[in-house]
Amino acid sequence: MILFLDILTTVAILFVVTAGLMMIFGVMKIVNFAHGALLTVGGYAAYVVTQLKLDPWLSWPLALVTGMLAGMVVESLIVRPLYKRPLDAILATWGLGIVMGQLIVIAFGREVQFVDAPIKGTWSIFGVDYSAYRLLLIPVACGLWATMTGLLNGTRFGVKTRAVIMNEDLARGLGIHSGRIRFITFSFGTGLGTLAGALITPLSSVDPNMGLNWLVSAFMLVMVSGHSMASLLVTCLVFGTFQVLVNTFVSPVLGGLAIAVLAAFTLRMRPKGFANG
Amino acid sequence: MVNAHATTELERDGSNPQPKTAKRRLPFLGLIGLVLLLVGPWLFDTYLLNILVKAYFLAIVAVTVDVLWGYTGYLTFGQSAFFGIGAYAAGLVFTHGGLTPGNVFLALGIAVVASVAVAWLVGWLSFYREASPFFATVISLVLPIVFVQLLLSGGTWTGSSSGLTGYETFDLSIEAWYWIAGSTLAVVSLLAWVVVRSDGGRLLAAIRDNESRCSYLGIDTAKVKTILLVVTAVVAGIAGFGYGSFSGVAAPELGGFVLGTELIIWVALGGRGTLWGPLIGAVLINVITAYLGSSMPFAWQLILGAAFVLVIVLLPQGLVPVLLRPFGLGQYAVHEPALVSRPLKMQSNAIPEMPALVMDGVAKHYGHLKVLEGIDLKANAGELLGLIGPNGAGKTTLMRCMSDGAERSSGTVSLCGNDIRKLPPDQCAKFGLGRKFQNANIFETLTVAECLRIAGTIRERPSLVRQAATLALPQYALDVVSTTGLDKKLGVAAKDLSHGEQQALELAMVLAQEPRLILLDEPTAGLTKTERTQIGHVLSSLAHKYKLCCLLVEHDLDFVEEIATRIVVLHQGKIVMEGSFADVVNSELVKTIYAGSSHAMQDPV
Repeated sequence: MILFLDILTTVAILFVVTAGLMMIFGVMKIVNFAHGALLTVGGYAAYVVTQLKLDPWLSWPLALVTGMLAGMVVESLIVRPLYKRPLDAILATWGLGIVMGQLIVIAFGREVQFVDAPIKGTWSIFGVDYSAYRLLLIPVACGLWATMTGLLNGTRFGVKTRAVIMNEDLARGLGIHSGRIRFITFSFGTGLGTLAGALITPLSSVDPNMGLNWLVSAFMLVMVSGHSMASLLVTCLVFGTFQVLVNTFVSPVLGGLAIAVLAAFTLRMRPKGFANG
Repeated sequence: MVNAHATTELERDGSNPQPKTAKRRLPFLGLIGLVLLLVGPWLFDTYLLNILVKAYFLAIVAVTVDVLWGYTGYLTFGQSAFFGIGAYAAGLVFTHGGLTPGNVFLALGIAVVASVAVAWLVGWLSFYREASPFFATVISLVLPIVFVQLLLSGGTWTGSSSGLTGYETFDLSIEAWYWIAGSTLAVVSLLAWVVVRSDGGRLLAAIRDNESRCSYLGIDTAKVKTILLVVTAVVAGIAGFGYGSFSGVAAPELGGFVLGTELIIWVALGGRGTLWGPLIGAVLINVITAYLGSSMPFAWQLILGAAFVLVIVLLPQGLVPVLLRPFGLGQYAVHEPALVSRPLKMQSNAIPEMPALVMDGVAKHYGHLKVLEGIDLKANAGELLGLIGPNGAGKTTLMRCMSDGAERSSGTVSLCGNDIRKLPPDQCAKFGLGRKFQNANIFETLTVAECLRIAGTIRERPSLVRQAATLALPQYALDVVSTTGLDKKLGVAAKDLSHGEQQALELAMVLAQEPRLILLDEPTAGLTKTERTQIGHVLSSLAHKYKLCCLLVEHDLDFVEEIATRIVVLHQGKIVMEGSFADVVNSELVKTIYAGSSHAMQDPV
């Protein structure tokens, strides 16, 4: 039973962590290498809330807004000029990640810090006591998925975004302002990145390198899933399960690598990943 | 990887007035380096010498990163892992086995073998058809992370997070180490410089500019990149062995991905695609880090990160070339070989008596949509086949099915008697197929002469050390080059040619590979009347004089009438008619389907 809950919560966490990356990858076709630093920023947003003795729930909106603001600045100053040089764009986001990491070190120091979770203790479910906050992340992930799917499939903005994802030149020809779509999705994606950071910190702790641990797994999941939210969910489900199983039955060290290694081989055998069913 | 690199290659315009001075000044820079290398121990104190030895070993890895990224376009964060493998080979063997002459060779051997094995695996995982450059980069990021995790789980055997320290190593003076590290760096840089400048080395830039063109020219780019990765991995592994032996420390950081990213930063700041830029960048940044890093560690990293972002956005060619430009450095000496004719080589794979092309029951589906169905087509040497049909009839798809084994959904295709099965384009090219695309598909930053030489790679492998004084092409390719005036522009970068010249260049490139069957997708589109006549003469002589089989998709029916020996009409994915031009034009069937009216064909546009 615990194993089952472990799997579900791990999948939820993976989905939360990759959603923002996916959003940016889908529209801009670039992998945002600053994603790790964004997770860290989100973690420190939660830390600030804890330090100011505010209600821990406030850390979520604070992280989201911080990330979106940062995303707006970054998109207009750094990503936009590199539109025609995608490999340079990911390098620039990487450099940005370094800058953000160093700023955090200067502001908060290198020490590991802890934050308050919005809800504490355990819930009894199916006869086992399980961390309440981990369980909370399952509905959060579902809500995030529903919101993003709804946004993409049910709104005008979503239709335009999907048009840009499928064929940017054609979309522009039809009068869709693809630059604005990129701007909005990038800032939205960075906002989701910091939000994810704030969501996952109560599970462990914050330190300036916390984002790095998630970065590679998140990259691989996005590469495998292509660019639909549904396939991302499926990918997280498959790889999350695999990771928990390796963690439990083989060794935690290998569990940390499970996603990256399995994803690399999956893509080698099936280059399209899970994108087409 | 097209367009991924904007202006990384320095301008190589033929009109540049400075190449002669550059030729004299680059060796001058090398001379300064050699003098520094020789007299260093008397100039610098022990502390600085210590830093320089480490910096030199790291600069060797930076040079390999530049070859992979700056020249070949493969952005890698993984070279640090090979450095770590080398360092740990030294650390592990000397810790557990002690320092004996046998163990030195053992450690060096392990460093080389392990690097080769890992690089081969990474190459296999990263380079295959349809693999995006992002994917290769992400894999390169996974490599050092996996490597470090394995080290951390190695317990006392690998020393876990603190690594291995205090093992016995070579009893050499710091001066000796300085000379060893410096001369290794000099040798590696010199070798890299010779190779990237050689005729064969330009293939790396060709892969960076346009990988798919390489593959349609019969070059197995995945293999080239994997071999390159293996070679650079060995170099990085040996550098790591040197570092581990010198410092007496093998720590996980040496193979970690932070170092991997730092290497990228040094190369980017130094100036990718120049070799000496990354070399200077790596050494300088290491020295500055050693001095500033202790007094203001965070601020220095912040400055470095910010400088990196600025350079990537504003100065993609890097800082060092910009700083040195006033001294006339960084200009390329344009090399213009003399053109000579070469006799046609024996076709190794093509079987001469067989028809050039046989398609049998070829079909292509996208889900339920049938783009091609039941295509049976045969074409012989010396034929000039015109493939016509309204837009959306499947003409270009048909060409794709001939030139890439993975394209069709069913049926068989054989080229000059070879079944193409599911083979990739480079194999189809080896069976004697040449494909000219609709939009000029060339190597943008290469000169005309370099494009032509790379195009002939499967017939005449370019040297990896020399720049040949002559460029040998088959006579018909020479004819194209001289009738279109390209022979006067051999030193011009392909991207600076006019549209018509680029089309002619691509045709000459396809001919340089000596195909038996040549596919042309709308060769006259966008050409002037003179150019159109020229290309008509060229194609006729290819078919009639040199007995090539030419297959062209064309909308210009006048042009088709002038040169084609047979017409094939494609409509809604099926061949509806075959015959002479007169047969086809007078056919009621064709008149109705071609434009939906019976008047269209009588007045061809």
